[in-house]
Amino acid sequence: MNTSTRGWGRADKTWHDAAGIHIDVRGLAAPAPLVAIVSLIESIGDATPVIVHHDRDPVLLYPELAERGWVAEPLAGEAGEVRLKLQRVR
Amino acid sequence: MAAGAFLGGAASRLLPASIPLRFFGAAVAYHLLAWFALLAGSEWLPRFEAGLGWPLAALHLVTLGVLVMTVIGASLQLLPVATRQPVPPARWLAAIWWLYTPGVAALALGMGTGRPLWMAAGALAVLLALLGYAALLAGNLRGARGMPGVVMHGWAAWVCLLVALATALALALFWLGVLPLDRSVAVALHVAFAAYGFMGLFGLGLSYILVPMFALSDAPDERLTIASCALAVAALALAALAAFGVATSVLRVAAIVLACLAVALHLQLMRKALRGGMRRQLGRSFTLVRVGWVMLGLSLAAALGVALGAPLPGLATLFGLTLIVGWLLTFLLGILQRIAPFLASMHLSRGSNRPPTPSSLSAERPLAIHFFCHLAALAGLALAVVAGSPRLAALAAGVGAVGAAAFGAFFVVLLHRMRASAPAEQNVSTRAA
Repeated sequence: MNTSTRGWGRADKTWHDAAGIHIDVRGLAAPAPLVAIVSLIESIGDATPVIVHHDRDPVLLYPELAERGWVAEPLAGEAGEVRLKLQRVR
Repeated sequence: MAAGAFLGGAASRLLPASIPLRFFGAAVAYHLLAWFALLAGSEWLPRFEAGLGWPLAALHLVTLGVLVMTVIGASLQLLPVATRQPVPPARWLAAIWWLYTPGVAALALGMGTGRPLWMAAGALAVLLALLGYAALLAGNLRGARGMPGVVMHGWAAWVCLLVALATALALALFWLGVLPLDRSVAVALHVAFAAYGFMGLFGLGLSYILVPMFALSDAPDERLTIASCALAVAALALAALAAFGVATSVLRVAAIVLACLAVALHLQLMRKALRGGMRRQLGRSFTLVRVGWVMLGLSLAAALGVALGAPLPGLATLFGLTLIVGWLLTFLLGILQRIAPFLASMHLSRGSNRPPTPSSLSAERPLAIHFFCHLAALAGLALAVVAGSPRLAALAAGVGAVGAAAFGAFFVVLLHRMRASAPAEQNVSTRAA
């Protein structure tokens, strides 16, 4: 698992599995989750999906995904978790 | 299925699109009317300092009609996102809009035509609407989680709003022959707490969300945002004491020095956010934002000149111009032209798997016309004040009106593209709210 510090003393976590690259941004204040997720998808050169683990619906993220040709699909998550699968569509 | 349509929390985090858009739409309309009012009052503009007439009406069409209108629409959608709170009930916001929008019109007409009763009726409607807004804002800030710097700015702006409303009431009563507070004290408090206090602190606080969001950069250091806010609040406290006649000149200068420190800290944080962001090209909208920041500094320099009694004709008018048009209006129009397409795309993502991009909803040509007209009008008004020229003021107001019409065209195109992109069921909910 990788941890990168963004903002003031908080960190997002990323890891890989068969489903894709996971990023956990729970507990981060806005706009850190947005920046972390956009930064991750911009670093991906192929069609690898990204699984986002969030504690709220990331409403600010959708326009940024649209600008980059990515879409979000909701997945079942843990209680209190919002889990999304992000995929490149163009 | 679109993510936003599926997620349970989505509904509680997004207002119906019609709510923020109706506030933005009214702001766009009042923007144009403000330039027309300025055109009507151009004869008196170069030496305008106070008193009923079209310059005062234009001033309030900008402050209440454009600035506060936009702040209400944007803050009640964005603050809940930032503070992790549910959005307020849409029907309350709709009620506020229905009370506030005609109230601003009546107030401005009363000021422009010199009818104190119209003005009082408008002021009452605006007062009630803004008290309602203050109640909703307090509810959000009370439950806020995280972002202490933004929340502190919100509370400081909230207190300033109450002071601005109380002094506005005193000034409205003055025109009806009642004098609850010395008029010069009320004017000094009203200018400081409405412009620098409510609108200014809100602008600085929301910038800590919006600028990193658009630049895609890390959030600014909370400790420094809190320090900047504390300095600004201390400056306002000193300005209030000075307004009541306590060591007036010394405290005014001290207030300006503290305000300069607050602004310097804020701008340093903004510079860091813009430089460290993943998105470097922010276009004309952020050129306007930067011009606004320069004008904020110039407004404080003009305020210092006024406080020290510098013998420059029209200095008080220049102060008002740099503060209201130069800083607040320029900054806000820069932000609004980015935020409106962004919010529109955000809303459309609720019902569509492939929402339109913010850039596809925007319209570049009208925004380019507005950009040049706005800056030309601002420069023209400054020259008109320095030269004492009503003719130049009229010309500048005309150019400003062309720019405002272009901004209106941008907004109409946005609504049209939004409607064309919206799924059928969302079109219905947009109209119904």
